[in-house]
Amino acid sequence: MNQFLLCQKKAVELLLFPHIEEIGVIKNSAIRLNGFLNIVDDGLKIYYVQEGKFEWTINHRPFILYPGDVALILPGIEFGNENNVLEIGSFSWIHLRVNVNKKKQLLTGSWSSLSDKETRAVSKILQMNNSPVLQKFTEAGHIFKSIQSELFNQEIGYQARVNHLLDEIFIRMSRQFSRISNPGRDFPSTFMKLERELRQDLSHQWTVEEMATLVGLGTTLFNDTVKSYSGFSPVSYLINIRISEAIKLLKKSDISLTDIALDTGFYSSQHFSTTFKKLTGYTPSQFRKNHSRTK
Amino acid sequence: MECIITIELGTNAVRVYAFDLNGNMLGSLKGYCPTFHSEPDYSEQDPDQIFITMLYVLKNLLNDLVHPKKYKVVSICFSASMHSVLAVDKRGNPMGNAITWADNRANKEAAELKNSALGKKIYKTTGTPLHPMSPLTKIAWIKNNEKEKFKQASKFLSLKSYILQQLTGEYMVDYSIASATGLLNIHKIQWEPEALKFAGITSAMLPNLVPVFTSPGKLNNAYQTSLGLSADTKLLVGSSDGCMAILGDGINGEGMANITVEDSGAVRVMGDKVLQDEKQLFFNYLLTENRYVSGGPTNNGGNIFEWFTRQFGDFKNPFDIEDSMLELINEASGISPGSDGLIFLPYLLGERAPIWNANARGVYFGINIKHTKAHFLRAVIEGILYEIYSIGKTLQQHRAFNTLSINGSFGTLPFFVQMVADIYNKPVRLMQNYHSVSYGSYLISATEMGIYNSLDEAVKTVVLRDIVTPQKNNHRTYLKYYKIFESLSTKLANEFADIAALQQS
Repeated sequence: MNQFLLCQKKAVELLLFPHIEEIGVIKNSAIRLNGFLNIVDDGLKIYYVQEGKFEWTINHRPFILYPGDVALILPGIEFGNENNVLEIGSFSWIHLRVNVNKKKQLLTGSWSSLSDKETRAVSKILQMNNSPVLQKFTEAGHIFKSIQSELFNQEIGYQARVNHLLDEIFIRMSRQFSRISNPGRDFPSTFMKLERELRQDLSHQWTVEEMATLVGLGTTLFNDTVKSYSGFSPVSYLINIRISEAIKLLKKSDISLTDIALDTGFYSSQHFSTTFKKLTGYTPSQFRKNHSRTK
Repeated sequence: MECIITIELGTNAVRVYAFDLNGNMLGSLKGYCPTFHSEPDYSEQDPDQIFITMLYVLKNLLNDLVHPKKYKVVSICFSASMHSVLAVDKRGNPMGNAITWADNRANKEAAELKNSALGKKIYKTTGTPLHPMSPLTKIAWIKNNEKEKFKQASKFLSLKSYILQQLTGEYMVDYSIASATGLLNIHKIQWEPEALKFAGITSAMLPNLVPVFTSPGKLNNAYQTSLGLSADTKLLVGSSDGCMAILGDGINGEGMANITVEDSGAVRVMGDKVLQDEKQLFFNYLLTENRYVSGGPTNNGGNIFEWFTRQFGDFKNPFDIEDSMLELINEASGISPGSDGLIFLPYLLGERAPIWNANARGVYFGINIKHTKAHFLRAVIEGILYEIYSIGKTLQQHRAFNTLSINGSFGTLPFFVQMVADIYNKPVRLMQNYHSVSYGSYLISATEMGIYNSLDEAVKTVVLRDIVTPQKNNHRTYLKYYKIFESLSTKLANEFADIAALQQS
């Protein structure tokens, strides 16, 4: 691939793609001082190394990238070379404009054909992952190449193709990240990780698909594995955590039943009350009364 | 038709079994309960999650199996892991999570006490080794480190006591669980003043001490309704998992020993006397007034084999560790006993009995150029079982036994059973697809109901049908390597301390 650089508002090639801030390839044959500055902004960046060896700092952590490696830089994360040096070699990159909502979820935008659920799951995996570098992830290189040729050749359907390829790269990266963090050997610790995620966001209406994605399994295998390991279906396990947490909150007298219901992920105080009574025989308010007396 | 339900509150799961009155298992269900490690030394469980899980699993078993077949539940017997501590406030509400047996935060308290004259005295009266596992040292830790919580705490319960209190309103603890707290004088069967003083509490802050056959009272109305149980369903406080396992395996007196290999492991004997040991090597738990269960626990059982499998197993199907373990066992069986001179010390998690050294670490010894992956694998299994033998050997210096029985998910794997028989050079009895802890609980219920005249009579009815006989040649080989194993386990004490210090820094 030859060197090029397309920037939003300057390059006509990007007219139809307001979400692409920048895309480019660089081939650098001599070390350039002040050639690679540390930056931090609201965009999401993906870098793919083709040749050479690059010492980059992501979120104040040093990484060395070799050909085939991918770096993912999330919005608001500092990225660059510690000494602002552009090293010898070649890499391609893309900067995307994404939004971050109140719950800190990444929202890709209307160009993407990922469903809301899928976007949430992708966002969760990318943010949960603590190493921003994927090693030997050459699939990303192929996708980069295809995006570039679509942009330059502008054959029929190229707008759809480019956006599909962007989705593709998000999907591939999420799958790869979740495979790496769940190598399929240690279900107890994988399950603990999942259970921690569930507890941290108990008010969220989790679906089985979302849970399965976090573990890196398809839903059927996920269901079976959880069931045989825990004795619970994923949904029943989630309800169990919800009620256990609700019990703790009920024992603190200053939180309203509606707040408890919503905080622990029930649709309404009615839904909370019915589920709670079915299991314990008490309504939440009876239960609260029983546990507020000195014994 | 009538039936008996048993409920086991374990560290990883709640297990509920249903038996008919003759002891035939009707069905069982389990529900997972996580252990949290917020600090490296901490192991905690959420008491309310255990309670909810117990209700959920019990309710499902009743609805799937018991109610549709019109069984009437006449008795429910409880068992639980030992050594848990839960502080509750004056309303009986938990002040945070329960601390489990595996928690080591009270290391300092335990070490200080163990080497003192007071400690020796307390071990003599309580029979529980002075170790961070024991609630005595855990409560002392709370006193020293969480002063405000200690001041606000109205009682210190075991997890089972909390669950029973939620169900019936009564605070109770059975003799066995109580004798694992390090606070009970097991000779007089009352709380030991000197131990209470060390922990900084009074006996009023502990649940009521009762025999294993005691009923904590009727199920609260709401639970009767939600579970579909009648008011005359009798709840029994029951015993600890270890004591239940020994009943369930039919150990009724001297001359018999019982081995458990689950994630961790233990070797236990039963008799009418306490085993006193100068080096405080054994635990002594009280089952009934004249029955003491004594023995030694190891930290390193099946969990070490699981660790090996996770690192080196094939995992053709994601997360299918069972399949990978069976494949590895198959591979190990191709290597001759003694692993051609490769020896493994399994102390990945430090060790309790018989060396009681929290700093101990794993060691491969004797590697030569001919050893293959399969040798490393077989040596791991041999090392785990040498340790089980080591506990039995020390026990035998105090109490002879000639029959052995084995239980636990790893203990009952045929490859493990044969190796235990060979290493011990004794026949080993077991029963496949049999859950000793639950059957022991059934025996307590059945005896309480008068189906058996006495616990003795009940236990004598247990017949473990499968007998695995030792192979003399293998025994001679194992014994040669065991000598080196035994010597290494204590010889490396200084290096264990050094490496543990480096690993912790």
